[in-house]
Amino acid sequence: KMEYKLRKAEPKDVSDILRLVKELAKYEEMESQVTLTEKDLLEDGFGETPFYHCIIAETPGENSSDEPDVVGFAMYYFTYDPWVGKQLYLEEFYVMDKCRGSENVFEPHVVQLAMKTRCTGMMFVVAENNQPSVQFYKRRGAEDLSQEEGWRLFRFDKDSLVKMATPAEE
Amino acid sequence: MANFVLRSAEPKDVSDILRLIKELAKFEEMEEKVMLTEKDLLEDGFGDHPFYHCLVAEVPKDQTTEGFSVIGFAMYYFTYDPWIGKLLYLEDFYVMQEFRGFGIGSQILKVLSKIAVKTRCSSMHFIVAENNKQSIEYYKRRGAADLSLEEGWRLFEIQKKDLVKMTAK
Repeated sequence: KMEYKLRKAEPKDVSDILRLVKELAKYEEMESQVTLTEKDLLEDGFGETPFYHCIIAETPGENSSDEPDVVGFAMYYFTYDPWVGKQLYLEEFYVMDKCRGSENVFEPHVVQLAMKTRCTGMMFVVAENNQPSVQFYKRRGAEDLSQEEGWRLFRFDKDSLVKMATPAEE
Repeated sequence: MANFVLRSAEPKDVSDILRLIKELAKFEEMEEKVMLTEKDLLEDGFGDHPFYHCLVAEVPKDQTTEGFSVIGFAMYYFTYDPWIGKLLYLEDFYVMQEFRGFGIGSQILKVLSKIAVKTRCSSMHFIVAENNKQSIEYYKRRGAADLSLEEGWRLFEIQKKDLVKMTAK
């Protein structure tokens, strides 16, 4: 059985975080879409205002004298619901293939974090064709807000933002 | 034509922000779901670490209804996409009925877009109720894409009572 140690990510972890992000993207056949760099992760996660937080999962190295191996991560940040306040938003979590079946190793830790920071809820997105995950979460009391409340997620991409930010002729 | 200014919210604005949040919730027939207080808004928005940011739209006192000069707001915060980095998330966006049609909404979106570009965000996200055709058209006209439609994402939530249940396991 896999023994994991969970800890808060540090600046030195950015290369492992990026590696795992790319690995997960590759698993979804989207590796080329990862444009984030180690520099971005460093500035954005460990600057004055962190834009994300990470929990790292480690397993002991091959030999007792080796550095531990970083085998998984969970990325989260805080959002704000105007009706009930702070929410913990679990953006992504992943454990390497060889350690599969243990993705929910982060769950208790993240839930504790949400309680500790006095969040009134935890949110996350699931692909609608990922039925195993949809069922996994529903069994634990998660509500599909898209279904129940009919919310649709929209995006303005960079081009649209630039267009909107620059003066237009009416 | 309404004379208005847009500015970053200040601690003194929390009572107006709460009033507008409740007004928008009332419009969605959900007013009793607003549990947030002015104290929460103050601590969460103007403490050491702000959990949200707000833009407010203000009109001169002589144009006000019932003495309110803050007549619109946008609440936003930053999120993080592990593939592309920082995103600006537009959480709430509302202009009082009698002040619509003067370009206040468009101006708010413009300022938000500038903020997003300046903070080097890759995009702006927000959710819209699928039966709110008017808003959907308003955003689509400005280039917004319906990710739920295009990418099949569904937004999930685990509420506090279930979080507590999970911690007790």
